[in-house]
Amino acid sequence: MVDEYLAVRVVGGRWPEGLPDDEDLVLPASRHWRLLQRIHAPGDGQLSQLLATLSPPDRDTIRYPHPEVLQIADARPLLDEAARIAARYGGTGWLIAETLAAGLTYGRTLWFGTERNVGHVLAQAAGDLGITVHVIT
Amino acid sequence: MEEMAVLDVAEERRRRRRAGDPRLSEAGREILARMTTGDLADEFQAALDADVEADPILGGHHDDAA
Repeated sequence: MVDEYLAVRVVGGRWPEGLPDDEDLVLPASRHWRLLQRIHAPGDGQLSQLLATLSPPDRDTIRYPHPEVLQIADARPLLDEAARIAARYGGTGWLIAETLAAGLTYGRTLWFGTERNVGHVLAQAAGDLGITVHVIT
Repeated sequence: MEEMAVLDVAEERRRRRRAGDPRLSEAGREILARMTTGDLADEFQAALDADVEADPILGGHHDDAA
């Protein structure tokens, strides 16, 4: 289970040092949603301007990731666990709840590309739930 | 023999996974690299943070980026 940073790095063929390569990589649907916002609802910054220059095939690598490279988690089987987590930790949004539910389902390990993308609520809940959080920069 | 074939398949899948999406152009690879580990990483993080701040269903009630 990876975050947006590692997902994009892997799609781009820049494999993060230390990330295991012997299992399928999975991105939670809520995190894929955030990437899709960059494609479909760009802002006016430099990043948005550059993403707007991507060709349709390039954009498709984010919109519909190649399954041999990156898979998007099916949110439906995670819903009940995510709702339980949200209720337990109070006020936890879909992003954190789904990520933690996916962590419980996919090997109790989460991989992030930067500490800034973890957040203290997720870090605390992950520790409480026995989920290991790795950060690879 | 069969075990060797299984190992070859596993190694090939690993190689493809590491190579990234074959549909992506070199220019696209460069933009994605700048976005995650280069000069656009701060802007990328700000955009991700803005998503959770703008959407309470996604971000919840916590004062937490992700």
